[in-house]
Amino acid sequence: MIPFLYGAGLFLLINMVLVFIRAVQGPTVIDRLLSINVIGTKCINLIVIAGLIFSRLDMFVDIAIGYGLLNYIAAVCTAKFYQHNKTLSPDSGASS
Amino acid sequence: MILGFDIISLSLILLCAVLALFIRDLMGSVIVFGAYSFLMCVVWACNGAIDVAFTEATVGAGVGTVFLVSTIYSTTRIDTFKKNRLLKQLFMFAVVCVVGVLLLKTVTDLPQWGDAGSPANTHLSAYYIENSIDQTHVPNVVTSVLADYRGFDTMFETCVVFVAFIGIFSLLRIRKSKTKNAATTSPTTELTLPPHQEVDSLIIKTASHLMVPFMQLFALYVVAHGHYSPGGGFQGGVILGASLILLAVSYNFKKALSILSEKKIILLVSLGVLIYAGIGVICFFLGGNFLDYSVLHKILPATDTIMARSHAMLGVEIGVALTVMVSMYGIYLSLSSNGRFDKGL
Repeated sequence: MIPFLYGAGLFLLINMVLVFIRAVQGPTVIDRLLSINVIGTKCINLIVIAGLIFSRLDMFVDIAIGYGLLNYIAAVCTAKFYQHNKTLSPDSGASS
Repeated sequence: MILGFDIISLSLILLCAVLALFIRDLMGSVIVFGAYSFLMCVVWACNGAIDVAFTEATVGAGVGTVFLVSTIYSTTRIDTFKKNRLLKQLFMFAVVCVVGVLLLKTVTDLPQWGDAGSPANTHLSAYYIENSIDQTHVPNVVTSVLADYRGFDTMFETCVVFVAFIGIFSLLRIRKSKTKNAATTSPTTELTLPPHQEVDSLIIKTASHLMVPFMQLFALYVVAHGHYSPGGGFQGGVILGASLILLAVSYNFKKALSILSEKKIILLVSLGVLIYAGIGVICFFLGGNFLDYSVLHKILPATDTIMARSHAMLGVEIGVALTVMVSMYGIYLSLSSNGRFDKGL
């Protein structure tokens, strides 16, 4: 069981690196926001996998639930920001 | 410690920090810093420091990004980068390098990671691990160290949150009678704000309505169950504050102020610190030392000296949670409305 969990965790981390490339390249902020949100979801899974490896899942699942609940707020807040400030590139946004 | 996970996530953290420096749009930097705190939380969790991981998760995911976004909303969005300041930048680079080298030199004096012979592991940890459950009946040693053995530290940490709120509130707050004077003397501050229009989204409102009760219930569980699982006053308070912030973001500012008005915010922030210090003072009057909870068995019904410590820890955590919750909400309101408390993000 443990080697499988290690493999799953490493697979998630490699996926994270691939998604991170989008955050580095990302021409607009929305690309970065999406890629960082995907990294956040993978982090939740990774915390649960760490809990399984330590075989104390009851302790780690609280963190994962807290993460899942709170991950939503930053996205809503950013969306609200763009509703007020309707430009994706910063240079034209400053002049309005 | 899971080595492979640590190496990859730490190198991703480094990449995040470098990337945040190079993005010129500050919104992009803020979003990349979100990933920084996610990955930091994974590093703590993989090292088994679950209470720290929980704090990082709640603060990083819940309120950190929101504070930065609302600051950008009420200030500016571009990182001003001037090329003619080369000499100044070279000087700063030299200063950073010197400080970095000095810090790296001190790393060699620190004990090895996980060294059983280091002073922290030979003196303090052993005492807490052996005696915590006998003396306090609290299975989570972190909670008993935080709220009982090191009660003074936690009390002043709560005071730091309180002072941070009071500082931000009193620096930014603009009274309505004074706004006219400020507008005539410095009209430039008015121009930086984007034009404000109310936005009304049914989907966001309904989703928040469904989410908030569960978030608050989970937060109360985190506060009350901190004796047995990771969590406690700080984490629970941040989640409670984040649920209020979610309501304020998805509705408008009027709704936000109808949940907790300005006066109530200041009252409740002070009340949290008062609960913590008050429990300490009650111990004082019952003949013990300040924050020596064991004497509280004289006034708490059906408890002995050990259970009194456990119950008093819960009381202290409630005080911490109250202060943290209301401070987070108040800081968000101050930042997003630029101190005017009339309209905001």
